[in-house]
Amino acid sequence: MTVYETEVPGVGHKFELELEKEERLIVLIHHDGNREVYLRPSEDADSRKLFSLSGKRARQLGSILEGAYFQPVEMDDIQVPLGESIIEWVEIDESSPLVGRSLHDANVRERTGVSVIAVQRGGETIANPKPEFSIASGDILVTLGDREQQTAFAGLAKADGET
Amino acid sequence: MATPILVEIGIALTAIAVAGGLAHRVGLSVIPAYILVGILIGPNPPSSLAGVPLTLVEHGEFIDVVAELGIVFLLFFLGLEFSIGQLLHDSRRVGTIGAVDLLVNFGIGAALGLAFGFGVVETLFVAGIVYISSSAVITKSLIDNGWVANPEAGPILGTLVFEDLLIAVYLAVLSVVAFGEGSIAEAAVAVGTAFAFLGALGLVAWYGGAHVERLFATRSDELFLLRILGVTTLIAGAALTFGLSEAVAAFFVGTAFGETTHTERIEHVVAPARDFFAAVFFFAIGLTTDVTLLAGVAGLLAAALVLTTAGKLASGVIAGYVYGLDSTRSVRVGLGLVPRGEFSLVIAALAAGGGDGALGTVIPAFAVGYVLAMSIVGTVLIQRADGITATVERAIQWD
Repeated sequence: MTVYETEVPGVGHKFELELEKEERLIVLIHHDGNREVYLRPSEDADSRKLFSLSGKRARQLGSILEGAYFQPVEMDDIQVPLGESIIEWVEIDESSPLVGRSLHDANVRERTGVSVIAVQRGGETIANPKPEFSIASGDILVTLGDREQQTAFAGLAKADGET
Repeated sequence: MATPILVEIGIALTAIAVAGGLAHRVGLSVIPAYILVGILIGPNPPSSLAGVPLTLVEHGEFIDVVAELGIVFLLFFLGLEFSIGQLLHDSRRVGTIGAVDLLVNFGIGAALGLAFGFGVVETLFVAGIVYISSSAVITKSLIDNGWVANPEAGPILGTLVFEDLLIAVYLAVLSVVAFGEGSIAEAAVAVGTAFAFLGALGLVAWYGGAHVERLFATRSDELFLLRILGVTTLIAGAALTFGLSEAVAAFFVGTAFGETTHTERIEHVVAPARDFFAAVFFFAIGLTTDVTLLAGVAGLLAAALVLTTAGKLASGVIAGYVYGLDSTRSVRVGLGLVPRGEFSLVIAALAAGGGDGALGTVIPAFAVGYVLAMSIVGTVLIQRADGITATVERAIQWD
């Protein structure tokens, strides 16, 4: 199953995908972002144009074909499908017992059930911080968990000396 | 009657727009339409229709300059889209079919020129005009007919890549040979200067990619467009002061940009400017064309029409054969390469600067008549290819 790529001067790029037997799928990507898709049933047959797509539509089709879960976002009804879980932003002040400890040491997951999915420090966001990531005062921890777990974590992050 | 220049330019642009619209409607290339409307409302005959004066647009400086920019940006885009990678990747096959295409069609052109009693320089022009196929007309036809997704697109596009490279070299040599004054030594110096300048440009293109990259990195499309237009026009102008072909310089500037990541953006942002300049260029060609001269070259035109169509058909069939295509597809390759267009006119524009001899009058008139015929004939041949291939196949019977 080979993919052939050729440049079409003044037009764009052409890709040919070998399918079953002699069938080939041909995708022509124009410089203006439009895509045309052709199917050639056999070596001797002529290519039939199946459809053409704008760049945006083509990317949507691509993610569906890839098997990525695809859900159109309705702007007036944004739902993040997390089930019971919610995402909270918890600021760590300097008196918090977590300051100066790594995520691994603090053992947040075991003790409260929430996962730290990101840390906002200054203008930066560190996604998926590693276990050895050291928590500093002023950090904002982004945590994922259900209500009970979030409450537990909020208690842990406060300065109640409960280490 | 002294009409303001703005009115004249307005009439010209509107006429171009209307002509282009009509061409789209009947499914033909816009190039002959722009030329025809230029002939119609220009200063040369026909100058009136049923008593209505038709000389609406004089051939002024503004149109001249925009037309020249048309040449520059046609060649700039040719360089931009010129794929060295593709040439090297498939060099053996592309080299073979390109050489066949050159030998057959340039050969036919040279034979025609000599047979009709032209001198060596004029013959070189005629040969170039009939040799070079039209990238613009052909790629559009390929897409309209869906051939672009078929195997025959390979040899057609391969031939065009080879021709693109050759036309750059040809223009560089021709502009020196045709207008080099005086002794052999002076001509040699001129050729040397030309290649030194182009060599410097080439080095920038190959090794300065990163600098070019940075120089043109801007968020604003407006600034980007102005930078590209400025640099390209400036270098093309500089080439002219050195007595070189501005078209070839523009081609090299285009290849320099082709090595950067700006290619896509240029396609988006600069292409509309190119389309405008090029449309005015074709229109200006029409303005300067004296239709009465066509009668004098009628014989040459008829012979060229028949022989060069046959020539491209033959070299195309061979190209298809080299690529291992069957006879139907090989004939399509031949038909696909018949249309001639913008580059033949660029050569004609170069000839038009050649004074009052045959070079400056007959050759441009021949080129215009030839392109008008071949752009239309070529498009129609591609549209009617299936019937034609059946006929040709019966004639060849090699399967």
